[in-house]
Amino acid sequence: MYMFTKDPRAEAAMPAMAAIGRLSRRSFLQAAAAAGALTVMGRAAAAPPAMKFVGASEAAVLQRLMEVTLPLSGSDLLPLSQVAVLPTLDGALLATMPPHILAGLKGGIGYWNDGPRAQFNRPFVDLNDEEAVRFCDAWANGSEVPQRALSVGLKKLIALAYFANPPTWAPLGYDGPNTRKRNIPSLGNAALPRS
Amino acid sequence: MSKKIIPVKQPKHGLQVTQASDIQAGSTLKLQADAVVVGSGAGGAITAYELAKSGKKVIVLEAGPYVPSEKFTEMLAISMGTMYADAGGQSNTTGDISILQGACVGGSTVVNAALCFRTPDYYLHRWGKEHGLTNLKPETMRPYFEKVEQHLGIKAVGPNETSAGAELIGKGLKKMKLPLGRARRNVKECVQSGFCFAGCASDRKQSMLVTYLPWAVAYGATIYSDTRAVEVLAESGRATGIRAEVMDPATGKVKAQLQVDAPIVVLAAGPVQTPILLQRSGLANSSGQVGKNFACHPTLSVTAVFDKEVNDFHGATHSLYMDRNTLPEEGGYLLLNAVQDPVEASFQVEPGTGKPYVAYMSKYKNTIRLISLIHDKNNGEVVWENGVKKINYDVDDEDFESMKKGLATTCKVLFASGANKVYIPSSQHLEINRMEDVDAAVASLKNERARYRYTSFHPQGTCRMGADPKKSVVNPYGETHDIKSLYIADASLLPTSIGYNPSETVYALAHYISDHIVKA
Repeated sequence: MYMFTKDPRAEAAMPAMAAIGRLSRRSFLQAAAAAGALTVMGRAAAAPPAMKFVGASEAAVLQRLMEVTLPLSGSDLLPLSQVAVLPTLDGALLATMPPHILAGLKGGIGYWNDGPRAQFNRPFVDLNDEEAVRFCDAWANGSEVPQRALSVGLKKLIALAYFANPPTWAPLGYDGPNTRKRNIPSLGNAALPRS
Repeated sequence: MSKKIIPVKQPKHGLQVTQASDIQAGSTLKLQADAVVVGSGAGGAITAYELAKSGKKVIVLEAGPYVPSEKFTEMLAISMGTMYADAGGQSNTTGDISILQGACVGGSTVVNAALCFRTPDYYLHRWGKEHGLTNLKPETMRPYFEKVEQHLGIKAVGPNETSAGAELIGKGLKKMKLPLGRARRNVKECVQSGFCFAGCASDRKQSMLVTYLPWAVAYGATIYSDTRAVEVLAESGRATGIRAEVMDPATGKVKAQLQVDAPIVVLAAGPVQTPILLQRSGLANSSGQVGKNFACHPTLSVTAVFDKEVNDFHGATHSLYMDRNTLPEEGGYLLLNAVQDPVEASFQVEPGTGKPYVAYMSKYKNTIRLISLIHDKNNGEVVWENGVKKINYDVDDEDFESMKKGLATTCKVLFASGANKVYIPSSQHLEINRMEDVDAAVASLKNERARYRYTSFHPQGTCRMGADPKKSVVNPYGETHDIKSLYIADASLLPTSIGYNPSETVYALAHYISDHIVKA
């Protein structure tokens, strides 16, 4: 069990968590394509650079969360080095977030990063893999609404930013859009009713 | 909030729509009509058609963009950003119920699953008894259902219109001795792409985009997209028109002003935006009921994992249902199968952080889904506060008991279908591995905010219909009690949740109300 201290960032993050209900942003594909090279560089570096919409410290939390939630080594899924996860997240998901929602999200990321201090005396970014997984699962099953909401919301951001990239589908066996691939013609508008 | 710019020229089989790009920045348009209709979804499109057909000059105002089927990507993640309210991000204030609505020309009919049910007689009788809607008798409504069924080609799915997951679930229902309902849909010659929620790229779905809207235009109606109604205009207790703003979809900023003067005003902007428009206008709320009585049919989608590959990727989005326990006294839930793309599947399940999650997604092709939808009580509220909409709604304890009954049946059907494990969509790892464990596992669930991952496609009830002006917003014929010639024709009208997809109910009510407007 974790000691839960009321933190104003927790409640402030709730509108952001509600907003993360959004499945998508319009620029997934463009963001992914434009930032592919950047992702490779980002993965190679010890710490990710600041992104356009979140600062370096928040980017570090998101990168650590990505590493913890998507340990793809040994699986058939496309390696993180080939998917522009964080740039997609930034360019497609956060890009059009209203300022007050984005501010709430930033607060929530900070609250998340400080969450493990009570048990581990370290922030999330400094936890080892096993500790980070324990923390994620504990907050997912936490007694406080903001803990659960953040756990769902932040992990959802990472998953979306990964799986919204069409190249991640082939290893799943998913073949994606098919109507045009099958040359299926449009039926066009229905005829005006006679009655 | 800005959305994607979609430069659209009218496709060869498309629709005549005046878009923001057709209007000069900074201009003020003053238009005259016999009727102005706000919203182009199920209620708005049908009303526009019926009024235009009767000879009235009709103008339709749609806040969303015009997206023709040629632009449909068949990628839900993209479609959400272009054709859904708040780019797919509309939710309750807690953030645990994703409330999905179309926000484009054609409204939710463009992005729904095309599933159609007539309003059960049970509710028509109940509305008569509890809300004075004795005019909506089953025999009165029958011709309206028959009319829309004919117009939209609503029929049961054929043997070829199914999906791999539905086939398995059908076997599970049979083993459980539960009735298998074959979905009725407004789809013609379905090619089973499985992308109903992303828009039907080959126009098989008979949405408003390819039916009532072009038909309304054929009778002279004009449609303005990117045009957000901001105020209902009224004088001396009678509606006189709509004030609207044309939005630049690239920036989300106001590009031009538009006013339609019309003696008939029909609001069909949906159960979230219609009450907000009335609240902003300070009209039709002597009852205090505008925005109240929100319900949304919360659903939980249970994911089942099989030992074998199922590849439940394509086919009718919904092709079967189980409604033995749908009425409130019988449980209050409905089961529906559903295909789901990997993007959606990626956040529905919490198998545990890290390696368990990767292992789960690696087996995506082995998974199928069965949805439990509940008849919820109308205990929510839509409010406009400080320029922001809020949907204050949480599943209450009594409704959660209905959900638990639905979940228990859902899990058992999936095990009977051959699943080796099921996941309940929760913030934490919630996995059941044997049929024998279902009842105990579901019984242990507690109703807590931000615990479950709900989805709703059916907001309803925020301007309810009724005979008593003190308890309802509109009268039994769709006209507001307070303001003459101000009508509502969308799912806001529903006095109670109906426990089934409400599309056909809205279609029929819009026809019914249109008849009364024409006769008035």
